Amino acid sequence: MKYLIAEDEIDLQQSIVTYLERDGNLCEVASNFDDASEKVALYDYDVIILDINLISGSGLEILKAIKKEKKNVGVIIISANNSLKDKLEGLDLGADDYITKPFHLAELNARINAVLRRGKYGGDELIEFNELKIDTRSRTAYMDGNALALTKKEFDLLVFFVSNKGRVLSKEIIAEHLWGDDSDLLDNFDFIYVHINNLRKKLTSEGAKYIKTAYGSGYKFIAD
Amino acid sequence: MKLKKKTRLIKKTSKTFLLTGLVLAVLSSIALYFYTKGLLQDQEEESLYSTEARVVNALKNDQTVLSFPPVTEIKKVQHIRPEILKDTIIYDPSQDEMEEFRELSTYKKINGQTYQITVRYLVVESKDILIAIVFSNIAIFVLAFLFLFYFNTTKNIKLWSPFFKNLEQMKKFSLSSNEELQLVDSDVLEFSELKEEILLLTSKVRNDYEKLKQFTEDVSHEMQTPLAIIQAKIDNIINDHSINDKQFSQVSSIQKDIQRLKHLNHRITLLTKIDNNQFIRVEEVNITKLLEEKIENFKELEIDYISLSSKNDLIASMDVYLADILINNLISNAIKHSSQEKNISIISENKTLIISNYGQKALQHPEMLFLRFYREVNSMQSSGLGLAIVKKICDLYNFDLSYNFSENQHSFTVVFK
Repeated sequence: MKYLIAEDEIDLQQSIVTYLERDGNLCEVASNFDDASEKVALYDYDVIILDINLISGSGLEILKAIKKEKKNVGVIIISANNSLKDKLEGLDLGADDYITKPFHLAELNARINAVLRRGKYGGDELIEFNELKIDTRSRTAYMDGNALALTKKEFDLLVFFVSNKGRVLSKEIIAEHLWGDDSDLLDNFDFIYVHINNLRKKLTSEGAKYIKTAYGSGYKFIAD
Repeated sequence: MKLKKKTRLIKKTSKTFLLTGLVLAVLSSIALYFYTKGLLQDQEEESLYSTEARVVNALKNDQTVLSFPPVTEIKKVQHIRPEILKDTIIYDPSQDEMEEFRELSTYKKINGQTYQITVRYLVVESKDILIAIVFSNIAIFVLAFLFLFYFNTTKNIKLWSPFFKNLEQMKKFSLSSNEELQLVDSDVLEFSELKEEILLLTSKVRNDYEKLKQFTEDVSHEMQTPLAIIQAKIDNIINDHSINDKQFSQVSSIQKDIQRLKHLNHRITLLTKIDNNQFIRVEEVNITKLLEEKIENFKELEIDYISLSSKNDLIASMDVYLADILINNLISNAIKHSSQEKNISIISENKTLIISNYGQKALQHPEMLFLRFYREVNSMQSSGLGLAIVKKICDLYNFDLSYNFSENQHSFTVVFK
C-alpha cells in the first residue's frame, strides 16, 4: 500500500513511517502544508494520514482539495484537539476517520486497515489470514469456512490482532482499543487475559495457534 | 473566627437612631422631672414659710388667728421643739379623702406663749403639673423622633440607592458570563469612585481569568503532540527485537502513564470548554435509558454489581454529550471507591438521581469533594477531576448536586430541572 503521512512533527512522522513500513508498505511524508498540498495533487495514495494543524495551514483545506478532485483515497485525520466540533467538521468534509493525539500506532494501523477494507471491497469487508476469514460487515469469522462463535469483544480483539499481525501488543494498547477511556477504571488488566485466552482457545480448537505471548506480558498475532 | 451577625445598613442606622432617641427621651425626662420637682418644692416651701410668717405676725399683733385645718393649725404648747418640714398624708374634709400635703411645723414663743404653727400645702396640684410636663416632653420627643426617623430613613434609602443597586449587580457577577456589569452612577463622590473601582476590578479579574483559561487550554493542547511522539516511539520500541522482558514491562508501564496524562488533558479541556459555554445544544435526554446503556457497558469490564431501580424515565434538558459524561463520571467514581464491598445502587425517580456505593466511614472533607485535584484517598487511578467536572456540569444547568454519608453508603444526589 502507498501512504502519505502529512505531519509537521518529524519525530511523530518518522515513528509512523517506521511502524507502517514493517508491513512492506510504501510511505511518503510531507512536513508542511505546501509540501502536503503538492503531493496530494500530484500523486495517488491509498490512504493519507493528515494532521489538522500543519505549521503553515490547516489540514482541513487539503481535505477539501482532495474531495473536490474526487480522488479515491482514504483520509485519516490526526488532531491534537479532542473537540467534537473538529471531529464532526472533519468527518463532514469527507474524512474516513479521526484520531486524537496521543494515539497508539497499533490503533492508527487498525484504523488504516478498516479504511482500506471499506474502500477496496465495497460491500464485502473481508480480511483474510491463511485459512482465517473475517467478514467485518456481518461481524463473523470463519476458519476453513466454519463460523467461529465469538463474543463481541473477542471479535473486536481478533480484528485488532489481525490488523496488527506480527506486532507486539501490550495489555495497555489492547485495553485502550477495546474499552477506550473506560479502561482507566480497571484496577488491573487481569480480565484481558480472560478475553484473550477465550479467543485463543477458540482459535486453537480449530488448529490455529496464532496468538503468541511476547515478553511475558504482551501478545503477538503471527502465523506458525 | 466567629462570624458576626450581619445587619442591613438601613436597619442598623435606624436602630442607632431610635436607640439614641429613646435614651435622650428617657434622660431628658428624668432630668426634667427632678428639675421641675425641685422648682415646685422650692415654690411650696416658700409659700409655706410666707404663710407661717403671716401667722406669726398676726399673733404678734395680738390678732386672733383662726385655724383652718388642714391648711393652718395653731396650737398652744409647753415646749419649743425644732422646726419640721415633711410630707404627710392626712384627711381633708373638704375633699372627703386622704390627701398628700407638704407640712411645716414651727414652734414660736410669741408674747410669752409658745405656739405650734402648722401650715400645709396640697401637693396634688404640683404633682399634676409635674406629670403633665414630663408627659408632654415625652410626647414631643416621640413625635419629633418619629418624624425624623421617617424623614431620615426615606432619605437614607434614596441616598444609598446607587450603592444597593450596584451591590445587586455585583451579586450577579459571574466570571463565565461575558455580560457587562450595569452599574449606576451617583452624584455622591464616594459612590461614584466605588463604581469606577468595581468596573476596573471586575474587568481585571475577567481578563486574568480569560488569560488563565486560555493558558490552561494551550498547555493541555500543546502537551498532546509530545505525548503522541513518546507514545509512537514506545510503540516502535516494543516491536524492536532487541529488548528483553523487563524492558518491555517498564515500557508498557510508561504507556499507562501516558494514558493518565492523556485523560488528564481531556478532562482539563472539557472543563475549559464548559467554562467557555461551548455546549449550547440542549435537548431532552433520557437519563434512565443512558444509565441502562452505561450499566451494560460496564458489564463488559466485568463490573456487574451496579443495580438500577427506576419507576419512570428521568428526562433532563441538557447536552447529550455532557449528560453522558455526568453519568459516566458519577458511576466511575462509585466504581473506583468500591474495592471493599462491590455494590453500587442507582435510583432514578422523577427528577432525582441517587448513586450510592459502600464506604466504611464518612469523608473527612466532604466540602472539598468537588474541588479540582482534591483526592480523599491517594489513588493512582483518580485524575482528581471527575467530580469537579460533574459539579461544573450541574452548575451549568443549575442542577442541584449533593453528597451525603449515612448507613455506610456514600451517596451522590443530582436533582435535574
